[in-house]
Amino acid sequence: MKIKSILIANRGEIALRIMRTAKKMGIKIFAIKTFKEPNAWYLDEADEIIDFSECFDDNKPEFLDIERIIHAAKKHRVDSIHPGYGFLSENPEFARRCEEEGIVFIGPSHDAIYRMGNKTIAKKLAKSHNVPLLEGSKGAVANALEAAEIAGKIGYPVILKAAAGGGGRGMRVVEKEKDVERMFTLATNEAEKAFNNPAVFIEKFVREPRHIEFQILADKHGNVVHLGERECSIQRKHQKLLEESPSPALNEKLRKEMGEAAIRIAKSVNYYSAGTVEFLLDAKNHYSFMEMNTRIQVEHPVTEMVTGIDLIEQMILIAEGEKLAFTQKEIKLKGWAIEWRINAEDVQSGFSPSLGTIEKISWPEEDYIRVDTGVRDGSVITPYYDSMIAKLIVYGEDRDQALQRSSAAIRKFWIKGTNTTLAFCRAVLQNNNFRKGKFNTSFLSTELKIHYHHEPDEEMLAAFFATYDYARELNDMEDKPLYVEKGKDIAPWVMNKRLR
Amino acid sequence: MARESKKKRPSRLIALSSANKTFEFRNPLEKSIKYQGKQVEVKLREDPDGFSYIVWKNKKYMLDVIEKNQNRYTVMINGVWYSFSVETPISLKRRRYLETQGNTSARVSIEAPMPGKIIDIMVEVGSEVKEGESIIILEAMKMQNEIASHVTGTVQSVSVKKNETVMKDDVMIEILRA
Repeated sequence: MKIKSILIANRGEIALRIMRTAKKMGIKIFAIKTFKEPNAWYLDEADEIIDFSECFDDNKPEFLDIERIIHAAKKHRVDSIHPGYGFLSENPEFARRCEEEGIVFIGPSHDAIYRMGNKTIAKKLAKSHNVPLLEGSKGAVANALEAAEIAGKIGYPVILKAAAGGGGRGMRVVEKEKDVERMFTLATNEAEKAFNNPAVFIEKFVREPRHIEFQILADKHGNVVHLGERECSIQRKHQKLLEESPSPALNEKLRKEMGEAAIRIAKSVNYYSAGTVEFLLDAKNHYSFMEMNTRIQVEHPVTEMVTGIDLIEQMILIAEGEKLAFTQKEIKLKGWAIEWRINAEDVQSGFSPSLGTIEKISWPEEDYIRVDTGVRDGSVITPYYDSMIAKLIVYGEDRDQALQRSSAAIRKFWIKGTNTTLAFCRAVLQNNNFRKGKFNTSFLSTELKIHYHHEPDEEMLAAFFATYDYARELNDMEDKPLYVEKGKDIAPWVMNKRLR
Repeated sequence: MARESKKKRPSRLIALSSANKTFEFRNPLEKSIKYQGKQVEVKLREDPDGFSYIVWKNKKYMLDVIEKNQNRYTVMINGVWYSFSVETPISLKRRRYLETQGNTSARVSIEAPMPGKIIDIMVEVGSEVKEGESIIILEAMKMQNEIASHVTGTVQSVSVKKNETVMKDDVMIEILRA
């Protein structure tokens, strides 16, 4: 069946990303408008807008309201729904409801989402398909006491993870027995909040592993291929900050072995659509299965850059029932791509969220640079959604060139109006071990002592600018006659002084 | 006419950093900086698209005043911010004098680093806290953040409640430094 229209049950950069491919394919796009961002960019690019802004119920966020979205899709006779990432993308109930209502869900079957989303079942499947994994609880842990008991058996450190989780939410590392109770509460609270399901499980925590994931594409006819790996080890509190493809840690043999393991995982649930199998890789190159993400990933562009394959297009074709147009042999990784996540966060204040309005945003336009963003001049960063505002993806013939081009691109990536993680990106680029490809998930805590990079004269130049601005204001105040009718243009403190 | 009057004004300004470093500029409006013994001219530009930047040693540095409150400035340069108070030679002298008068307050307030919702408060009035100890869990941007005390002491007051929302810089807890 040819898909003629898509309702995007998402927002921001991923909504725009899906639209880009859909437009190329001549598909009509429906987007959802919320009261939280009524002027968001993605709405301007949609063919039709479904207005959800009447809702002020904070307990049921728009993009999590299954019945409302299904109802809207039916009312507008939309063929299909693309969930993007986050929100309902890995909710089996949502996929099931779509199937029930005859709406094509652009993603895997609800059964595959359910089985891979349930960590206990996923682990059983991995085990029975001969994919290595880590010791841990057999399922969700009932309480802190049980958590302590299991942790005692497998040995500290352990990690608590949301059973329905992903993206680093609802995850806590426990180093010592006395921390179990506190961490258990934190993890369950966060899991409840983020996934509507407080269940957490426990497993052995591997110190300083690399996080390597494999991109999978599978059609509805049983063909499964992998598109190589992504290196996602640079993380903060389990949130990825940058990703690259390929990984400096893998050789052809290991890539083949892990890729085949990933394909076995996908086949175990008759997977179709795009998906990602995540592994931990220890210092001795032993890998273990972590989880499968049954959706498009934030970091999918790096794979697209090195394979030349449009993953959103593939998801749509697969949803239509098309066979994969290529075999494993035909997939070649060419060059190197790095994605730098630009978050509205204040790195100097411990990565705390930075809200505000993007006054200006600009970046260098080159054919080796791709920027996926959901913001433009005037966009407001609200506290409702996560802090990622843009992804800068840089391509090079090899890693060195990709790094070199990244340095130049980051310097010319300017954002005015909010704090961003760009200074963090510069700090990473300055690090020798990062440049050499020697790093793991503990990079931020062990390698990067200062999480932002500054150059020698920067503070002096900033000081100069402060005094310049101060002097200019004094000057303006004394030189300009005061026009009462233009009073609003005058800084309040100047006004105050004049009126006294 | 306006040009004439500028020259008469005392124009030496000093930026005092939060780490007590001083940066002195003879007349910032003349756009020249004394650097390694020489006066070096700086190019300060505003792009038509709204960014201000300085060209220094052939490199462009994007600049923005992100916070300004009287003489207190926070300036962002290439994505890194620095805080200063802008002083004249006289005001700096006065400031230094006041600092010697021992007004170091024993009462320290823990402020919300970001807007969010209070999920849990682990201390009450009278609790002893250690530096680095978690005292509040604040949820913002869907993450639960542990807020730690940056001093050791006794809790004097708790001005927030569970499930309450706080704005950035709201005082949540006051601690009497031990």
